[in-house]
Amino acid sequence: MKRDLHQFQGPPQSRLSNHVSSSSSSLPVSKDKMMMVKEEEDGGNMDDELLAVLGYKVRSSEMAEVALKLEQLETMMGNVQEDGLSQFATDTVHYNPSELCTWLDSMLSELNPSSDPILPSPEINNSFLTGASDYDLKVIPGNAIYRRSNQFAIDSSSSSSSNQAVNNQNKRLKSCSSPDSMITTNSTTPQIGTTVTTTATTTTAAAESTRAVILVDSQENGVRLVHALMACAEAIQNNNLTIAEALVKQIGFLAVSQAGAMRKVATYFAEALARRIYRLSPPQNQIDHSISDTLQMHFYETCPYLKFAHFTANQAILEAFEGKKRVHVIDFSMNQGLQWPALMQALAVREGGPPIFRLTGIGPPAADNSDHLHEVGCKLAQFAEAIHVEFEYRGFVANSLADLDASMLELRPSETEAVAVNSVFELHKLLGRPGGIEKVLSVVKQVKPVIFTVVEQESNHNGPVFLDRFTESLHYYSTLFDSLEGAPNSQDKVMSEVYLGKQICNLVACEGPDRVERHETLSQWGNRFGSSGFAPALIGSDTFKLASMLLAHNNGGQGYRVEENNGCLMLGWHTRPLITTSAWKLSAAH
Amino acid sequence: MAGSDEVNLIESKTVVPLNTWVLISNFKLAYNLLRRPDGTFNRHLAEFLDRKVPANANPVDGVFSFDVIIDRQTNLLSRVYRPAYATPPSVIDLQNPVDGEIVPVIVFFHGGSFAHSSANSAIYDTLCRRLVGLCGCVVISVNYRRAPENRYPCAYDDGWAALNWVNSSSWLKSKKDSKVHIFLAGDSSGGNIVHHVAVRAVESGIDVLGNILLNPMFGGTERTESEKRLDGKYFVTVRDRDWYWKAFLPEGEDREHPACSPFGPRSKSLEGLNFPKSLVVVAGLDLIQDWQLKYAEGLKKACQEVKLLYLEQATIGFYLLPNNNHFHNVMDEIAAFVNAECQ
Repeated sequence: MKRDLHQFQGPPQSRLSNHVSSSSSSLPVSKDKMMMVKEEEDGGNMDDELLAVLGYKVRSSEMAEVALKLEQLETMMGNVQEDGLSQFATDTVHYNPSELCTWLDSMLSELNPSSDPILPSPEINNSFLTGASDYDLKVIPGNAIYRRSNQFAIDSSSSSSSNQAVNNQNKRLKSCSSPDSMITTNSTTPQIGTTVTTTATTTTAAAESTRAVILVDSQENGVRLVHALMACAEAIQNNNLTIAEALVKQIGFLAVSQAGAMRKVATYFAEALARRIYRLSPPQNQIDHSISDTLQMHFYETCPYLKFAHFTANQAILEAFEGKKRVHVIDFSMNQGLQWPALMQALAVREGGPPIFRLTGIGPPAADNSDHLHEVGCKLAQFAEAIHVEFEYRGFVANSLADLDASMLELRPSETEAVAVNSVFELHKLLGRPGGIEKVLSVVKQVKPVIFTVVEQESNHNGPVFLDRFTESLHYYSTLFDSLEGAPNSQDKVMSEVYLGKQICNLVACEGPDRVERHETLSQWGNRFGSSGFAPALIGSDTFKLASMLLAHNNGGQGYRVEENNGCLMLGWHTRPLITTSAWKLSAAH
Repeated sequence: MAGSDEVNLIESKTVVPLNTWVLISNFKLAYNLLRRPDGTFNRHLAEFLDRKVPANANPVDGVFSFDVIIDRQTNLLSRVYRPAYATPPSVIDLQNPVDGEIVPVIVFFHGGSFAHSSANSAIYDTLCRRLVGLCGCVVISVNYRRAPENRYPCAYDDGWAALNWVNSSSWLKSKKDSKVHIFLAGDSSGGNIVHHVAVRAVESGIDVLGNILLNPMFGGTERTESEKRLDGKYFVTVRDRDWYWKAFLPEGEDREHPACSPFGPRSKSLEGLNFPKSLVVVAGLDLIQDWQLKYAEGLKKACQEVKLLYLEQATIGFYLLPNNNHFHNVMDEIAAFVNAECQ
């Protein structure tokens, strides 16, 4: 009987999951058993499985030590006056509660300040590496507009001539950087639909295959619509293009019958499926960057995702820049520079006064030859002047971040200038280009940043199987669109939907290097960063709190939620995290 | 005395496995930081510290889950847990009709003394998954609004809304009679919510087949013997209980309020009502056991069917980890209770 199968599958202990330890925890975990939990680097010291399932990492071997710390903490807390305890809780910054041992240590040392402070890691010895670029296309830097020694306004005497020079350079830029002349080291033939006929669930153990779903629409038509979308994607997966074509037409009708988020999402996915079926080239994503920028601004206005990204990244940067007199931010995601006024403001009013602030903005070339990076720099310079922050700016145009070399960035010795590297929704674009991300990460390492802030979509849209990518992204964007429904109807909102729609189209209709929306999860990025020589720079409860408060203030406490995860912050719609801000530093070995 | 606290700590360590002790002590200390003397709650820190897990439509150990927004006005969300299908489920099949002559549906209310935790808290996500595996049922975990931001009756209203949603979900209907076979279950404050939602159900004609109350949170103004005897000894203090009641009950109310004391002088009698049968689990080292025992007594006196499970050496939270006999005993009892009608 089917029900018996679900109901009882053996004796209680073994039925319950791989995580059950069949004996009490006082016995050491057998070293022969290879568990399927996240491994510690030291294979012999396994985390207690039962606590791991509940979100706490405690090595079995240190359980007694942790218990002792809990007792000590309780005693110390008992000695604090009642008011003092909640004040202490508010004033203390907490990090990474999953690591119970370190959390307890920090609490103990906070309550007992006489203990030794944690010493900073020794200065890393610098030697600037100038590795040769693997790529033929070189980055052509824009004019360095603001000299460090000058005042922070534009040097007006040279502006007209420099503009001319910039225009000439831009012309040259365009011809060099058009896709026709781009030489890639690997060309993959774009595959529209694969012939893989595996079932929907992947069996790779590499990345966790968690499918977080929020059902926001249980209506009959909504279900049929999702059904049709999935069936169409499956038909494409199996190369049944005739069936796929029939389904995509049906989807069009069903979509119209829907209301709200589901209609919009379905429409975008249907269009993308149609493009894939008919092998229509997608809208010129690569070139229309000015349109992308505009759309992103609307997205910025309509919903909190970008604001959260900027805010949380800035907090991490601010913290890393503490005490530094000269700072340099390298922004991989310059766009309209929306992130930087707030950081500059915070630096302006910080204790000890503002540092000298240098900004290097990197972005793709504009379709209309305008040097938009220059314009953005000018605006920021004006702002800097108004708030009395010494400012220097340089814009770099590059088709891909992988075209950058550290030597172009005019780095200064790290003793004199602290560097932060920032990337918001850019890194995933490198994953379609062999060696791309590795190159960029190696450049970041050469830069020797005090902090490397990364914001990415929290979803795996880069799996090898088309149907899986389709399913993941359908749920991801359904949730995202649902969150937008609460916003008042406006031009901003419509444009935000177009912004997201372009991502959907790229993700579903494109393949090979054209498919740039290759989102991956925090655990995937974490693995990549970890094996590239980065360690997490934990984001704490203070940032969490401020981000939550800003959310509540701006969005009236709707369904947005901030979550802490392994020292990173995620912003989600209800229970589904949608974007993650993480911060990284060079690990001790590097 | 200086030594007595030490003795208390050691005592609680002897009755639970070490990792359980670590887990519950950690909660205790963290929670101490969150309650402010003025009755406010450090919600931001609470959410930061709470370990959450996403739903997962991919089955893990035979169970998959997904979240549903039940009411957008109140942001009421519930997490649905289902036994995995024979073939790997496509995501469109999440709300496929339940497959069975009789399929119990447990509406679950997580604990946290009305202030802590959520449906997506790791401890409760894990517990609900275990319930599905053990009972072969569907579990719906309700993410009710919490105190002190949302006092009585918000949690009950949310429970009621969830019950109605479950009752009218066609995909949850058992084949035998085209009705949803509903059980209510909850621990701590969740157990309290079970009682009050059941009362509303009975008064409104919604059939609830059984109530499961794990260490339910009840109280009163009087200081009972167990409260005095066990105060501070096994993770819980009378003082913190008082704080949570003050945070949940309407301003100015005391613990004789019917929400807190369902068989107290201010409560309506259950006599004559077709109240669901109840399984009441009481931990012998829980300081509020006298109130829980009074509750079971009250049901008996009102001629309602009740089975009392008194676990002598169990502390609060024993059901969070499957590393003790109490856990397995109680899970077996719950399975039997829920599947009784299938015999």
